[in-house]
Amino acid sequence: MPLGRLPAWLLLAPALVLLFGVFLMPIGWFLVSSLRELGTLADIREEMEAVLFSDTIGRVILNTNGIGAVVTLLVLLIGYPVSYALSRARGFAFTLILLCIVLPYFTSTIVRTYAWMVLLGRNGLINQVLLGLGLIGAPLDLLYNRTGVVIGMTYVLLPYMVLTLYAAMKAVDPRLLQAAEGMGASPGQVFRRVFMPLTLHGVVAGVLITFILAIGFFITPALMGGPADIMIAMLIEREVELTQNWPTAAMMTIVLLAVTLILYAVYSRYAEPGQGELQR
Amino acid sequence: MTDDLKLPRRLLIGTALAAPATIARPARADGEVIVRTPGGAYDDVMRRHVYDPFTRETGIRVTVVAATAAKLIAMFRANNVELDLIDTGDAQLMTLEGMGALAPIAYDRWRWSKPEDVTSEVKLPYRVGNFTYATVLAYNRESFPGDNHPKSWADFWDAGRFPGPRMLADIASASVNLEFALLADGVPKDQLYPIDLDRALRSMSRIRPQIRRFWDTGALSAQMLSDREVVLGSIWNGRLQTLIDRNAPLAYTWNEHMIQVQALGIFKDARNVEGAQRLADFMMQPQVQAGYAKALIYGPTNERAFDLLTPDERARMPGGENSRRSGFYQNIVWWHENRERVTRAWSRWVLR
Repeated sequence: MPLGRLPAWLLLAPALVLLFGVFLMPIGWFLVSSLRELGTLADIREEMEAVLFSDTIGRVILNTNGIGAVVTLLVLLIGYPVSYALSRARGFAFTLILLCIVLPYFTSTIVRTYAWMVLLGRNGLINQVLLGLGLIGAPLDLLYNRTGVVIGMTYVLLPYMVLTLYAAMKAVDPRLLQAAEGMGASPGQVFRRVFMPLTLHGVVAGVLITFILAIGFFITPALMGGPADIMIAMLIEREVELTQNWPTAAMMTIVLLAVTLILYAVYSRYAEPGQGELQR
Repeated sequence: MTDDLKLPRRLLIGTALAAPATIARPARADGEVIVRTPGGAYDDVMRRHVYDPFTRETGIRVTVVAATAAKLIAMFRANNVELDLIDTGDAQLMTLEGMGALAPIAYDRWRWSKPEDVTSEVKLPYRVGNFTYATVLAYNRESFPGDNHPKSWADFWDAGRFPGPRMLADIASASVNLEFALLADGVPKDQLYPIDLDRALRSMSRIRPQIRRFWDTGALSAQMLSDREVVLGSIWNGRLQTLIDRNAPLAYTWNEHMIQVQALGIFKDARNVEGAQRLADFMMQPQVQAGYAKALIYGPTNERAFDLLTPDERARMPGGENSRRSGFYQNIVWWHENRERVTRAWSRWVLR
């Protein structure tokens, strides 16, 4: 029987079993067993309030959202033109751009982050070149601070934005743009009034997926950040590994998971096929 | 033949996916001991000096695995202890002991090592120290040539006399350098504990503008010193020695170093408790300890092992005579009781 005739649930079954077994069950076990340590529901509520309204977590949530927002904006600004170029490119140029974007995927995030550390250090390549050219008098602080975190995360997250935007842009019928031009619209108007609105759902989807991934980041801020660049995933790790205070870790996990799920709900609404696809 | 082999495997994978919590444990004979280790170059040294000789003597194979503190706790809680011997920092073993996860060390049944030879500070009912290491003050010889280098933590704190970016330990490395902050603030070595946390953090605030980064792993601390990201810092002596041996322009002062303990513990629900007890016994022998201590520049915990070292080697061993005079033992009981409080205070302080 061809796979296409099988009912959807059967096709999904292996993935669902896997997700249930290696994600839902462990996380459920962790949350339940951790929270049970606290005792009654009232105790849990009390601890939850203590955790959620503490100074530290307030700052960390602020950090996490701040870094997430800046990174998402940068990724969008860099990714949009790249995606546009990709959606218009043909043949060798297309392959080349795509390879540049996708190839880094084949390397682990840790390796790529270390590569950035080599480039950005006080005696790293970038500072040496700038110093050598006489453009700066003293090494720039590009690593072990917020700048380093933003550079590293922007780089790691760029492909997600580019590929999401590419899908949306590829779906825009070029004849619509030609028609707009033919009716006398300037290139600026074609972009602003036809192309951009048609790719807007891709922008929303790209921004959401980038932001969702950004707020869960751990490796890059842990390796490239300064003392105060603590994001929520790092704080969770501390509670799990260091103080072994699993109830608190469980609560922070719930916060992160809830925010992610809410954003995902918005994402799945906007990532539905937009106007561009429907008109084809 | 090959087709026949495929079916059970497919079945097995299917079963594994469907019931990950109840995967049958592979039967394991008494012929294997599984050890949690810090990993890396350490494993190679221990294989050469401990595991392989142990296998030759007993026929018991030794397998090493990595596991963080949380993973060890999770194993115990899930009632699915996957390893026998735990070779880790003594603080982690203290936590596991508090949870009732460990078996007593069977000193009375030791046949290779003599319990009376073991340094009394590290010979405890539920864990036995297998080496000591030190956190020392390291400096870059090019930045501070000749004798003009920091010689104490008060000097380290003096950015006027000794300028340049610095590093200290982050809480994620297990403990922060509160002791050094107090020493810099004038607290005598023998009056550090109980640590006055507020005073230590106030002292820490004074040097903070000079701190480029608080290191969370031994690898990062080594990298920052060798890349000249920092010219001064606290670092584990073994990590530093590796760099010095590779001709990095680095050196350290023995003055006011902190001695820390690595220890062995045994899961009481382990599948091979007996094998683990024997491996611990084997590892504590003078000649075995002298072998790996020399290779790692970490201090033996069997007093007899010091007799097997040259005077030169003895001089630079943490926990040796020299070291006990100029350094101090980290009070792990204080850290165990206060780690949560310190972590919270540290997070607040670092985010300010």
